Amino acid sequence: MRETYAAPLPGMNLAEMTGKLIVIEGTDGVGRSTQIRLLRPWLEQQGRAVLDTAIKRSELAGKGIQQAKEGHTLGRITLSLFYATDFADRLEHEIVPALRAGFVVLTDRYIYSLMARAIVRGADARWIRNVYGFALKPDATFYLRIGVDDLIPRVVFSRGFDYWESGMDIHPSEDMYDSFRKYQTELLAEFERLAKEYTFEVIDATPDVRTVFEHLRAGVARVLSGEPREPLFSVPMPAGEPAEAATKKVLEMPAPAKAAAPVSEESAPAAQPLARAAEGDAST
Amino acid sequence: MKRYGEHRFPGKLFVVEGIDGSGKSTQLTLLHQWLQAEGYGVVFSEWNSSPLVRETTKRGKKKQMLTPPTFSLIHATDFADRMEHNILPLLKAGAVVLCDRYIYTAFARDVVRGMDPLWVRELYSFAVKPTAAFYFRVPLDVAMKRILDGRSGVKFYEAGMDLGLSENPEESFHIFQHRILDEYENMVPEFDLTTVDATLPIEEQQTYMRQIVRAKLAQAKRLRVAP
Repeated sequence: MRETYAAPLPGMNLAEMTGKLIVIEGTDGVGRSTQIRLLRPWLEQQGRAVLDTAIKRSELAGKGIQQAKEGHTLGRITLSLFYATDFADRLEHEIVPALRAGFVVLTDRYIYSLMARAIVRGADARWIRNVYGFALKPDATFYLRIGVDDLIPRVVFSRGFDYWESGMDIHPSEDMYDSFRKYQTELLAEFERLAKEYTFEVIDATPDVRTVFEHLRAGVARVLSGEPREPLFSVPMPAGEPAEAATKKVLEMPAPAKAAAPVSEESAPAAQPLARAAEGDAST
Repeated sequence: MKRYGEHRFPGKLFVVEGIDGSGKSTQLTLLHQWLQAEGYGVVFSEWNSSPLVRETTKRGKKKQMLTPPTFSLIHATDFADRMEHNILPLLKAGAVVLCDRYIYTAFARDVVRGMDPLWVRELYSFAVKPTAAFYFRVPLDVAMKRILDGRSGVKFYEAGMDLGLSENPEESFHIFQHRILDEYENMVPEFDLTTVDATLPIEEQQTYMRQIVRAKLAQAKRLRVAP
């Protein structure tokens, strides 16, 4: 039986959601969408039906959020709640029906990105957790981890600095570069806190697209085969241990047998150059 | 982020609540006229009126896409926009802000739609506590008669048709409003709402409201001296 973080939505039957809910999290420009574009055909080749969904794609609120973001009067609480509306609409109309039908749901970001953004913008952490209390607990959350120094060149050489991704709404006196650095640093720190709290499976996103995909694919294969998460994952990062050490542990995890086959040109689309990796993140 | 509580701004916030047909909007209009005549800087804010959010809500209702959680969240979004851009800055500036419906409307409707009562209350914890919240208490039959006499019919969500209470809109409306009424009654002690007997003559209700408002306006700014 599937679980929610707090009270489930009225009328939502949590039984018989036989599909798998897999979350890909990570900051702006880290390459989430690129990875999902690789994961989807790979899963479909194995006969798995896939639904992919992302923030702002709801029929109800997607357009309204886009329009609100183009103006200059969108407040922080309003923005958070607009996103929550979009999320609830997709949860009820896309995610839950797909899980009932036995699909693999790949979601490009989940409540965690939305919580991180809200908290960095001064929202009360307890408040935003309550807002998303009705969210389904995913089968796994893969967090694409990157440092701000590795992130900047990707963003610069793909789509450039975006107003919201640079947090210009909260650091308006800075130029885009300074603001981006400051905002993303805060956001990444918040992601690390969430990673511990919600036991994300961390994947180092600094190598090339193909290497990242290999690790991600191994993780997804394990989730789909129903094998338990390596005990290593469940152990919370000891306080004070450098982030690098924890990442390394994850990368050293032996891939399950089913996923051990190397990535070949036949089984997965060719890896894309790094500069394009970030390109697909325009969805947010 | 400030949580629901007493604000310390120089402005004052008065809100009216009650089921459709309770006469609350009429009373608020009369209060508005009086406060203006008295020389106060008065601003009016209506439920469901944010320019940023209105289109989305309208579309959701028209296409009947709204479910209990999205109905709740889109109204909270609308409220947040008015709170951030309207109500809060005006209270800081010392205005008298009048709201036709406030968070209690959401608490009543969303809970009747099956949302968790604590979830909804926490959702709106960014709201400021009104200086006074008037609840217009009216028997359901009186309110129903006022509404059904005055217009051609009730709208889908207004009648709670999304809850599948009845195929008949009028019957659904009746059941839905009855449940809303129960929620309001529960909130009177919870939020210390000031009840107004909405079956009394309009002038009597207004006199009572003005008495209470006057007592709370001691330090509010006047833009000009009353004539």
